[in-house]
Amino acid sequence: MNQALLVAKNLGRRKLRTGLMLLALLIAFFLYGCLESFDRAFYASQNSAADNRLVSVNKVNFTLPLPISYGAQIGLVPGVSAVSYQSWFGGYYQDPRQFLIMFASDPAGYLAVYPNLQVTPAERTAWLADRTGLLVGRTVATKYHWHVGDHVPISSNIYTRAKGSHTWDFTISGIYSFPTDPAREGQVIMRHDYFDETVTFGRDTINMVMFTTKSAALNEAVIKRIDTQFANSPYETTTDTAAAFNRAFASQLGNIALIIRLVLISAFAAILLIVGNTMVMAVRERTREIGVLKTLGFSGTAIMMQILAESMLLSVTGALLGLAVAGLLITGLKDVIAGFAPGMHLAWQEVVGALGWAVVLGLATGGLPAWSGLKLRIATALGRI
Amino acid sequence: MMPRVLRQCAALARMNILSIPQRIWMSVSTCFAIALVVAVLLVFLAMGNGFKQAQSSAGAADIAIVLRDGAQTEISSTVSREQVMLLEEAPGIARASGKPLLSAELYVIVDGIRRSNGLKSNLPLRGLGVEGAALRHNVRIVQGRMFRSGTNELVVGQGVTREFAGFDLGHTLRLGQTVWTVVGIFADGGTVRESELWADVGVVQSVFHRLNVFQTVRARLASPAALATLKSHVANDPRLQLVVESEAEYFSEQAKQSSGLIQNLGWPLAIIMAIGALAGALNTMYSSVAARGTEIATLRAIGFGGIPTFAGTLAEALALSIVGGLFGVLAATVVFNGYSASTLSSNFTQVIFTFKMTPALCVRALWLAITIGLIGGILPAIRAARLPIVGMLGEQ
Repeated sequence: MNQALLVAKNLGRRKLRTGLMLLALLIAFFLYGCLESFDRAFYASQNSAADNRLVSVNKVNFTLPLPISYGAQIGLVPGVSAVSYQSWFGGYYQDPRQFLIMFASDPAGYLAVYPNLQVTPAERTAWLADRTGLLVGRTVATKYHWHVGDHVPISSNIYTRAKGSHTWDFTISGIYSFPTDPAREGQVIMRHDYFDETVTFGRDTINMVMFTTKSAALNEAVIKRIDTQFANSPYETTTDTAAAFNRAFASQLGNIALIIRLVLISAFAAILLIVGNTMVMAVRERTREIGVLKTLGFSGTAIMMQILAESMLLSVTGALLGLAVAGLLITGLKDVIAGFAPGMHLAWQEVVGALGWAVVLGLATGGLPAWSGLKLRIATALGRI
Repeated sequence: MMPRVLRQCAALARMNILSIPQRIWMSVSTCFAIALVVAVLLVFLAMGNGFKQAQSSAGAADIAIVLRDGAQTEISSTVSREQVMLLEEAPGIARASGKPLLSAELYVIVDGIRRSNGLKSNLPLRGLGVEGAALRHNVRIVQGRMFRSGTNELVVGQGVTREFAGFDLGHTLRLGQTVWTVVGIFADGGTVRESELWADVGVVQSVFHRLNVFQTVRARLASPAALATLKSHVANDPRLQLVVESEAEYFSEQAKQSSGLIQNLGWPLAIIMAIGALAGALNTMYSSVAARGTEIATLRAIGFGGIPTFAGTLAEALALSIVGGLFGVLAATVVFNGYSASTLSSNFTQVIFTFKMTPALCVRALWLAITIGLIGGILPAIRAARLPIVGMLGEQ
């Protein structure tokens, strides 16, 4: 009879109790898996942006306009390698509630600034050739069942075109994927020349210039040069790395990271208490047996290791089950999730993190009973009923 | 017959509850787990409630708000000077000494630096017409004074000064090429208005290169009933292409639209956590039944029925869950009631709000605790009621 068998027998002796402990652990790690992968998806944009990608926006606020000529002017700044610009279109499809994350941009520049955007060469050519062409992120295309070549009417809740219409006709030139930043697959890009040609106001203005530098080492000098160049003009700029801009933008929604941490701390605290107490009780029930084992020659350390192995096995099993359920749920609800957390998936980060916490939880819940197992004197154990 | 069963139930309930100290750690951990679940639920509910109230309580029934047809929010609306002039003649709008009580407004988003993390956030700078402040019933200046027309003066909602740096009374700040001075702080009962910066509309138009452009018009109605008159007048004038709503309608729609993901997370999260707590409660109650096996058998042998045994165990579970629930409500209220936070509204600007616990929300959260107690008590109570008397007494 080896130690592992003893551990297994101990866990199997009260199946209901073990099952309930596993359920509690499963819940904690299910929440961990879901919330942590949401957190990673939510903050992906600020971590995945290339460190030589920068943005210039109106100094007062990024919703205010800049002249379209700023794109070309920034392109001339030494150290800048590719430039594009965009305007927020306020687009929606059919119903104002089906709003789109839609920008008007210059096609050639856009594709140069985002080299990780993946479209076929044919789609790329089609977009460069068709003024009414639309580049659609994969998530959006799936949601509305759009295909390349489809004609789609899209309305704006900001702009109007001649005769008071709010609706524009587009042809879908391409459907792109963006593996390095899946959040971008939730966007739609129209051409700025089509925008300028049709809107009744806001023509020749943009909200943002996006550009890359030849090397991140040049960022500081380029930022200074641009913001000085436009200082004291009617449209002053503030330039920052795309990562920093995205971080500030994400923080506007609220401190999501803090909310997630607080919920997880609550869940783990509750589960720690439940499982820890149950372990204490389970070991106390076995006091006599531990006495017998010690009489048979098991050392105190061996008993301690047995109890720790038991709690560790329990919490690691619970963690794996919880992650499995979280993984199934995230995969099953993929289409729903894409709407608010594009690119959310369970990855090695969550598995490693969960296993780390499982070990901590295992030590914490098994620690006290293991200690008492180590210290237990045979006479006391056998005397106690 | 019936009273005897009841008396037995009461006796066993009392006995079970008084014996909790024998299983104190197990019981405390269950209480605590339930308290945490209740607290998480209540904090989310209070957050959603505070956010909703900040918006929905801002609207008055006798103030009309006029937007471009098709615009859902102020930020995406535009109204021209010609349209404003037509509205000044429109029926249904209240007048004082011949002048219509109306304010054409411009709404611009500017950056504020959040005190908590030093990052930029969107704040609304509202340019108000002469009548603008008078069209907000509950607004009162709590520090300083109102801005004067034609000057670069700002008054600031007290939510903004609380959450954002650089907007205290007397501070100057640069927006565009202009330096502004904060001359007053206003309060509006915690509504979304306290998240705004106010200045003279003419000055805002010129600083932001938007001469003769407005976004919304607010007007005092001659009476709430005059809304219909104004609505049909605007709808029938092809030059207007505008829609009229009462402020109350507008804000309740805003509250509906922007109750986002986080506000709706409370129940799902709490229910998932409740399942974990339920596992704890079941464990506690099963071990309570196991520990009292001999006692239960003895009681059965001296004539206590199955129903009182069942009721006694259930009472213990309910007592634990109610104590846990009350503790959770108390802790959540003490720590989070009135907690100030902000998030993006559908106007793309920050709404600063405080978490608001209400008795109704506390009761809802308590029901969750009671549900955990009920489910966690019933199964072990059935086991208690069915314990074989002979076997239990024979064991020792």
